[in-house]
Amino acid sequence: MKTAVLICPGRGTYNRAELGTLARTFPDPALMARFDAARRETGRETLTELDGAARFSQAKHGRGDAAAGLIYAATYGDMLNLSEEIEVVAVTGNSMGWYTTLAAAGAVTPEVGFDITTTMGAMMQDNGQGGQTLYPHMGEVWLPDPTAKQRLMDLVAEVSNRPNHVLALSIDLGGTLVLAGNEAGLAAFEAEVAPHDRFPMRLPAHAGFHSPLVQTVSDAALAHFSPDLFGQPNLPMIDGRGQTWWPGATDTKALWDYTFDHQVTRPYDFTRAIAVAAREFAPDLFIVTGPGTTLGGAVAQSLILTNWSGLTSKAAFQSRQAANPILISMGREEQRGLVTKGP
Amino acid sequence: MDRAAIVETNLRRRLSEGDLPSVAAGAGLSGPEAVGLYRAQCLSRALDLESRAMQAAGQGFYTIGSSGHEGMAAVAHALRPTDPAFLHYRDAAFQIARSAQVPGQSALWDMLLSFSCSSEDPISGGRHKVVGSKALNIPPQTSTIASHLPKAVGAAYGIAAAARHAPEHECFERDAIVMCSFGDASANHSTAQGAFNTAGWSSYQSAPLPLLFVCEDNGIGISTKTPQGWIEASFRARPGLKYFACDGVDLYDTYTTARATADYVRTRRKPAILHVKTVRLYGHAGADVATTYLSKAEVEAQEARDPLIRSAALLSASGALSTTEALDIYEKTRARVARAAAEAVTRPRLQTATDVMASLIPPARACAPTNGPSDEARTKVFGSDLRSQSEPQPMSRLINWALHDLMLEHREIVLMGEDVGRKGGVYGVTQKLSQRFGPDRVIDTLLDEQSILGLGIGMAHNGFVPIPEIQFLAYLHNAEDQLRGEAATLPFFSNGQYTNPMVVRIAGLGYQKGFGGHFHNDNSVAVLRDIPGLILACPSNGADAVGMLRECVRLAREEQRLVVFLEPIALYPMRDLQEPGDGGWMRNYPAPGTSVPFGEVGQSGKGTELAIVTFGNGTYLSHQAKAKLGGGVRIVDLRWLNPLPVEAMIEAVRPCKRILVVDETRATGGVSEAVITALTEAGLPATRLAAEDSFIATGPAYGATMPSRDTILAAAAEVMA
Repeated sequence: MKTAVLICPGRGTYNRAELGTLARTFPDPALMARFDAARRETGRETLTELDGAARFSQAKHGRGDAAAGLIYAATYGDMLNLSEEIEVVAVTGNSMGWYTTLAAAGAVTPEVGFDITTTMGAMMQDNGQGGQTLYPHMGEVWLPDPTAKQRLMDLVAEVSNRPNHVLALSIDLGGTLVLAGNEAGLAAFEAEVAPHDRFPMRLPAHAGFHSPLVQTVSDAALAHFSPDLFGQPNLPMIDGRGQTWWPGATDTKALWDYTFDHQVTRPYDFTRAIAVAAREFAPDLFIVTGPGTTLGGAVAQSLILTNWSGLTSKAAFQSRQAANPILISMGREEQRGLVTKGP
Repeated sequence: MDRAAIVETNLRRRLSEGDLPSVAAGAGLSGPEAVGLYRAQCLSRALDLESRAMQAAGQGFYTIGSSGHEGMAAVAHALRPTDPAFLHYRDAAFQIARSAQVPGQSALWDMLLSFSCSSEDPISGGRHKVVGSKALNIPPQTSTIASHLPKAVGAAYGIAAAARHAPEHECFERDAIVMCSFGDASANHSTAQGAFNTAGWSSYQSAPLPLLFVCEDNGIGISTKTPQGWIEASFRARPGLKYFACDGVDLYDTYTTARATADYVRTRRKPAILHVKTVRLYGHAGADVATTYLSKAEVEAQEARDPLIRSAALLSASGALSTTEALDIYEKTRARVARAAAEAVTRPRLQTATDVMASLIPPARACAPTNGPSDEARTKVFGSDLRSQSEPQPMSRLINWALHDLMLEHREIVLMGEDVGRKGGVYGVTQKLSQRFGPDRVIDTLLDEQSILGLGIGMAHNGFVPIPEIQFLAYLHNAEDQLRGEAATLPFFSNGQYTNPMVVRIAGLGYQKGFGGHFHNDNSVAVLRDIPGLILACPSNGADAVGMLRECVRLAREEQRLVVFLEPIALYPMRDLQEPGDGGWMRNYPAPGTSVPFGEVGQSGKGTELAIVTFGNGTYLSHQAKAKLGGGVRIVDLRWLNPLPVEAMIEAVRPCKRILVVDETRATGGVSEAVITALTEAGLPATRLAAEDSFIATGPAYGATMPSRDTILAAAAEVMA
C-alpha cells in the first residue's frame, strides 16, 4: 500500500494528443452516459462525441465548457482507475481542477462536479473578461530564484498602476506565474519581459480567471449554484490558498462560498497547495490524474520550492524519478501503469 | 509499559469498544466545528507521542507535551487569529486549532521541525522548541515560570493605547484582545501574581485592558500538587479581574465559556481569567515518571478523564461523529504524523555558533524619515525653557530636554515608571513631560519593576518605542529576568520575526553624598553586561547623555535593539568640577539632530604618558585628577558598557605609554574585568583601580569603597613611577 495525494489538473491539458482519452480510460460507462445526457440536455455536443471526433479542433474542443468537461471526466475517471494498493490521503487541484477536487473528494457528486465544471467553463467563455499569460521565474534547471519572481511581481504591480491597465497574479504555478489582465495589461507585461522559448505565452480562449476581471462570473455562479449541493468530503481537500477542508469538519456553506467567490476572483496558489500537501500529508506519491502531462512540471517545481524530500533541482528530481518515482503523471503511459488497476 | 502507551491503548480500546463515558449532547458548536476541534486534539496528541518517538531515536529534543490540555483547541476557536496569544508550553492544541483559521498553514510540519530543532523551523529557526508563529500572532514562548505574563499585560495596554497614539509600526488589530495562558503551578509565581495585580490595579481604575488570562489547571506542578480548589479560591474574587471557569476536558463547555469570556474582554475592554480544568497525562515531560510521586489510583483517575475519550463521547452524543469515525480520525492522524516526521528529521539543523547567534540582534526596520520637531512645535512645548538652552546646564535638565525633543519627534515614544508623571521623577528628570505630552504617554505605574518592564515589552510588541524607567539600579534586580529571559530572547527565539525594542532608563551607580546607601547607590552592572544583544550605555556628562540618548532611541526605533541607558545619579545635578561655582561639569544642550554614535568612545586630552580608561562617575573623578596630573594624560570615556567598544578603546589608548582603568563597579564582576581582558588580549598591559567587593554604605563612608579623586591620583602616581 502506498499513500498518495491526488492532483487534478486545470484547463489546457486536453489537446490534440489527448483525443480519445476518455474512450481509452474512462471506467464507468453509466457515469459517462449521465455526463453525456447532461450535455445533450443543454444542447451541447457530448463528451463521447467530442472525445471520439476524428480531428482535434481548438474551436470545438478548446471552448470553455468542452475543454473543462473533457478534463474533468478524464480526471475523475482516473481516480476511479486507481489501484487498490493506492491509499489516497488528500486531493488537490489546479485552477478548474478545484471543481474536480470537490467531486474526487466527495464534497459534491460526480454529476454536480461535472455541472459546476461545465457551467463555469461556459460562463468563463461567455462572460469572463480579460485573458491569461504565462511567464516562468525558474530557469532551465529549476533552481528557486525568489529574486526573479519578485522582479516579475514588481513589474505586475507597476503595470497594474498604469491607467487602463489591469494585471494581477492569477496562479502561482510552481516555477511559472500565470497572470490575468485586460489586453492592455497583458500586452504591456509581454512587451517588457525578455522572450525566451515559448514565453511569454498567451493562453487561447482563457478569461482572466482568479482575478477581479471575472467578478461577474463569480456573482452569477453564487446565484446559480445552491450551497445545498455541497456536502462533507470523504477525503481532505487542499484548496488554492493551501487551506485543508477536512472530512466531517467542513463548513459546507463556507466551501460553497470559497468555490464561487474567493477561488474565482482571487489568486490561486497552487505552489502553496502542493507545499501543504507535502508537509501535512507526506505521501509516498503525488499523482496527477487526468489527461496531458503539463502539470507534472509545476508539481515538481512546487516540491523543489518546498525543498521537499531532497528535491532541490531538476536534476535531483529526475534522479529521484528514475530510482523511485515520487510523482506519477497518469497522462504518461509508462507511469500510469504504476498506479492503476485497469487501463 | 510507560503511561503514554497505556493511555493510547486505553483510548484505542475504549473507542473501538464504544466504552465511553455517559454524557449529554453538547451545545454551542456545530457538528463540523466540533469535529474540526477533535481533529486538532488528535493532532496535538499524535505530535506528543511522535516527539517521544523522535527523542528515543535521537532525532527529537523536546518531550514536554500537551496531552490532557487538548481542550485548549476550543479556546483558540473562541478567539480570532488576530488576537495575540502568549501561550503556555502545553498549548500545541491551541496553535493547531488556530492554524485552521488562517489559510495556508502547516502546523503539523512546523511543530515537527521544532521538535527536531531544524533550522527550517519557521518560528525559532531551530534555536529552541517554542510554541509560536508569526502568521498566527503567537509570539514565541517557552517560559516555565510565568515570565510572559507581565508583557501580556503590556501588550493589552498597548492595544488600547494605540487607539489614542497610533505608532508607525502598530501590528495588533484595534479590537483585538490579548490571550495569555499558564499552568496552575506557575500561577503562584511572584511574576504571575504581579501581572494579575497589575491587570486588576489598572482595570480597577478603568484603564482599558483587553486581556484574557487562561489558567490551565491540571492540578499539579511537576510533582507538587496544587491544593484542591486553590485556583478558584485565589481568583474568584480578585478586584478588577473577572473569573470564569470551565471543564477543559469538555470541548463544548470550554468553547462556550471561552467565548463568553472573550466576549466580555472584547466588549468591556476589561481583563478576565478563564480557569480551565484540565488533566496532565503521562507526567511532566518524557523523563518524568508520575507514579514515583503519585499513587497508581491517582494516575489512573487522571487518565480516565482523557479529553480525547470525552470528546469522542460528546461528539457521538451530539450526532457529530460516530465512535468508529473518531477512532479512524485518530489512527489516520497518527499515521500522517509518523509519515511527516520521517521527512522532518531529515531537515537541516543549526551547526555553528554563527548559525545560533544569527538572530541575537534583530533586523533593522524601515521608519518614516523625520526632520525633527519644528521650531514652532519646540517653542510651544519648551516655552521659557527654550531660552535656557543656550546656557550650560546639569545633566538632569539636559536629559529632560532630550526626552522632550524625542517625544516631540516620535509619537510612538511612551514613558512609564514609578513617579515619572506628576512628580516628574524623583530627581526631576521627567519633569513637565506628563503635563506636556499627556498621562497616556508618561505613565505613572504601580510599584512593581516586573510590571514596568512588562508594560514596556508588551507595548513594544505593538510598535511603540517605550522608555521605561527603573527608579534605582538596585530595584532592577528583582525584575531583571524581564530583560534577560524575555526582552533579550525574543528576537533569538523568533529568528528576528518578533522584537521588543525599547530604551530602559535606570538611575544608578554610587556617590550620592550621604544619601540612600546600597539601595539608592548600587554599583553593580554585571547582570546587564552578559545579556546577549542588550546594549548598555552610560554617559558621564550632560552633553554625552543627550547625544547618547538620541542614539539609543534611534537604535531602538530603527534597529529594534534592546537598550539600557544607565544614568549616574550623582552626576544628575553636578555643576562644578574642581571648585565650587566653576561650572566645570555643566554642558550646553547639543543641537537637535546631533548624537553620539553607538560604539564611539569619548576622549579628553591628547597626552601619551597615561591613558585613564573609565566611565560614568569615574570619568568625572578622573577629570578632577587630571588637573593635577598634567598634560601627559588622556581620559578615555567608554560610554558603552555592553558590548564594550573594544576597537575604539584600543585605538584611543594605543599611543599611550601606560594605562590605568578606573572602575566604580566592583572588582569582581565589574566592568574593568572585561576592559583589562580586552587590553591584555591586545597586548596592552594595564593597571586597574576598581571598587571594593562591597555594598555601599550610608553616611560619611558613602564613597569609601569606590575610587575617588585621591585614589586615582595615587594609582596614577604608582603607574607612572
